[in-house]
Amino acid sequence: MLQSELEKKMTTQAHQTAYVQRCRFAREGATTYLGHLDLMTVFERAARRAELPILYSQGYNPRPMMVFALPLGVGIESTCDYLDISLECPYDAGDFAKEMNAALPEGLRILSAKSIPEPKDSIMSLVTTASYRFEAKGIRPALLKAMEKDALIVTKMAKGKAKDTDIRPLLLAVKSEQDEDADVVEIITLAGSANNARPDLILQSLKQYCGLDAEIAENARVVRTGLYAGNYPDTTPIEDCPVRSWSDS
Amino acid sequence: MRQNPLPLSRADLMKVESPARYVGGEVNAVVKEEMLEELEKTGRTSFLRFAFCFPDIYEIGMSNLALQILYHVMNEDPHIACERAFSPWLDMDALMREKNVKLYSLETKTPLDQFDVLGFTLGYEMCYTNVLQMLDLSGIPFYSKNRGENDPIICCGGPVAYNIEPMADFFDIVMMGEGEEMILEFCEKVREYKLSKETDHPMTRAELLRACDEIEGIYVPSLYECSYNHEIGAHLRPKYEDVKTMIKKRIIKDLDKVTYPTDPVVSNMRVVHDRTYLEVFRGCIRGCRFCQAGFVYRPVREKSVDVLCEQGRQLEKNTGYDEMGLLSLSTSDYTKFPELAENLLETFEGHHTSLSLPSLRLDSFSLDLMEKVQSTRKSGLTFAPEAGTQRLRDVINKNIREEDIFSSLRLAFQGGWSTVKLYFMLGLPTETDEDVIAIADLASRIEKLYFDVGRETGQRMRRLDITVSTSLFIPKPFTPFQWEKQDSKEELIRKQKLLKDHIRSRNIHYAWHDFDSSVWEVVLARGDRRLAPVLLEGYQKGLFYDAWDDHFKFNQWLEVLTSHGLSVDDFARAFSEEETLPWDHVSVGVTKKFLLSERHHAYKEETTASCRENCAGCGVACFGVGECFANRDAMAKEGGES
Repeated sequence: MLQSELEKKMTTQAHQTAYVQRCRFAREGATTYLGHLDLMTVFERAARRAELPILYSQGYNPRPMMVFALPLGVGIESTCDYLDISLECPYDAGDFAKEMNAALPEGLRILSAKSIPEPKDSIMSLVTTASYRFEAKGIRPALLKAMEKDALIVTKMAKGKAKDTDIRPLLLAVKSEQDEDADVVEIITLAGSANNARPDLILQSLKQYCGLDAEIAENARVVRTGLYAGNYPDTTPIEDCPVRSWSDS
Repeated sequence: MRQNPLPLSRADLMKVESPARYVGGEVNAVVKEEMLEELEKTGRTSFLRFAFCFPDIYEIGMSNLALQILYHVMNEDPHIACERAFSPWLDMDALMREKNVKLYSLETKTPLDQFDVLGFTLGYEMCYTNVLQMLDLSGIPFYSKNRGENDPIICCGGPVAYNIEPMADFFDIVMMGEGEEMILEFCEKVREYKLSKETDHPMTRAELLRACDEIEGIYVPSLYECSYNHEIGAHLRPKYEDVKTMIKKRIIKDLDKVTYPTDPVVSNMRVVHDRTYLEVFRGCIRGCRFCQAGFVYRPVREKSVDVLCEQGRQLEKNTGYDEMGLLSLSTSDYTKFPELAENLLETFEGHHTSLSLPSLRLDSFSLDLMEKVQSTRKSGLTFAPEAGTQRLRDVINKNIREEDIFSSLRLAFQGGWSTVKLYFMLGLPTETDEDVIAIADLASRIEKLYFDVGRETGQRMRRLDITVSTSLFIPKPFTPFQWEKQDSKEELIRKQKLLKDHIRSRNIHYAWHDFDSSVWEVVLARGDRRLAPVLLEGYQKGLFYDAWDDHFKFNQWLEVLTSHGLSVDDFARAFSEEETLPWDHVSVGVTKKFLLSERHHAYKEETTASCRENCAGCGVACFGVGECFANRDAMAKEGGES
């Protein structure tokens, strides 16, 4: 086939209906050290090993249609993350989760899956807020101190250039459940494509402004514990968000 | 999965590039629970613990088929637990030294010095110093003679092990040839040695080494004394009467029956060749005179289509990779290649799995096939004429004719291809300036063909991109050119400039290979035991990761070499046909007599037919198997003895 014919074929392919599995997943252990792109590949290969009817994108380079709600940075564990996996046909959500779990490497687990119609809003666009748990000696008082500051200017690297940025506006609240334990703290932050609080920058600010020891900060365990839609404090966990489908008017 | 905790903290791992290299946890990795239980209860285990070591970074090692094959073969054995270890990159290397962390296995995070055996696979000479790095980071003495009863046995294998002499003093055991059977025989002996330590009659390390010498294919360097003399060359003498004088490589007779890993370890992170591999056959019918692989992997042994299709199906399912590479030398020489390719494509239908076909010879079938496998954008076409003139191609016995290149390219250009890569070698024996200029000429005639095709067909043509790439000839052991000299650096630079000056079109790009590393590669490839102290001193001065251009420091190596009274010329010179070569104690089946006659044919510009057309009597019939053996005529019998 000539290149021009191939191009024509690619553009005239009909839209295929996607049957989406909205998955809540967790990661820990060795897979914590994977970057976002590698994590995507790991899910993709697991789905292929499980021989699930994954839907592929069209075009020159067909890819499995998988959308993560929010990339997980290297070194960050999660007890509650989300991704949408598109399938070619309807599939029982319980079976889907079970089969994926049998194929995923140790440390990655689908906690629950839900069959949803093809969503009009990408799962990424829903995310406004995240919660993180930090575990390190004396981290709770340090973070409480940070919350009292008006500004927390940290330097972040973007496109090879150092840039100063104030992360204080991204920190919304400290959860109070563990208030008796100084070494654990959970924080709610802004998240998503517009304003996103990076946990490593939060730790950096604690080191810089709140007297947290550098080595302790570097060794802090960071766990993402939730992703939410809506404006804080009226937030909804992603899995409880109503799905607007293409057939809704 | 139970295992030791990682010896590095989260902060440590976050400091290094790609921490996923150092944490394991891959699908299909094997942890022997029974062994861990034994260790937990008694602190000891009856399992033979084998650390498979790859002397380069994780991403390269995880793309290595030898690692996957032998890992699988050993872990299938109920008494062996094989784990993996790779060279840590420089950042991790520094961190481990700073924190006093020993190099550990990925499966159970066990320090390597607690294993019974460390086995290195050596695919290229430039990784030698990384072997030293891995021993160093494990706290294991470098020299075989300095290791005691409590140190692991250090062994190696792989294509460059056929001339292991530069590294011989560092290894206890060297395995020549294909390892699937040999490694199990070896492990059994080491396990006997290990278990004997618990008895009243413990075996000594020296006894173990003598016992291993009895295994065919195993070379125990410490059982030989070595001397060098400019007249007679290298001289290797067994220290004891019953030590074998000739080490003959091992081969697998029936590839259909030998275990093949259809559930290889699947890396979680991206690796260099991010695909799964199906090995189609071993050996090569061609006999290009510069090509070491073409001689050391003889004879040609094919797997059957049925076996390959079943293995391909399982590989796809067990790994989840969306690409499968067919692996062999000169893949389109597989006798039932069309049947195999079509069968696999049918199996993958609708799965979005693609077939990667390296080393294809271009003809109408393969073009058609490439159309099918490349549902996406058309990648480049690759040819390796190796030399610019037919005369020089005859000298090197490269069986590719200009007519064939042009007729395939015509088809390809008509089909819309517009990227062509051409590979050549500079510095080949008998090369003249005319041969060098002919490379540029060939490229510009290909350019002309492209525009001719455009005019004839009236197609709208894309921008043409021809890349001419030259590497430098390296005279390798076990080839007809093993006696040849390597051109001096000045001469090579002159030839390269000559070629560059003759390439004038903007559609043709010239890419060349670094000189210095090719010079050092010759030293290592044709080296002898005098190099061991050189390599160790270089390593101790911080020279390792030599396979990485950015880290290879040629001038520093030259200084070390010179300080030991040696020069590049000692190894890059022409060897005389009378002298003993440093690797003469090894037999790959192909006889020295045959290599010599091939050398003489080369000088007479005479080609030798492929093993499929006619048996040239190379000697490999001594294995009694292979395609050529089945069809050989009386000629083969003459060359059967080494």
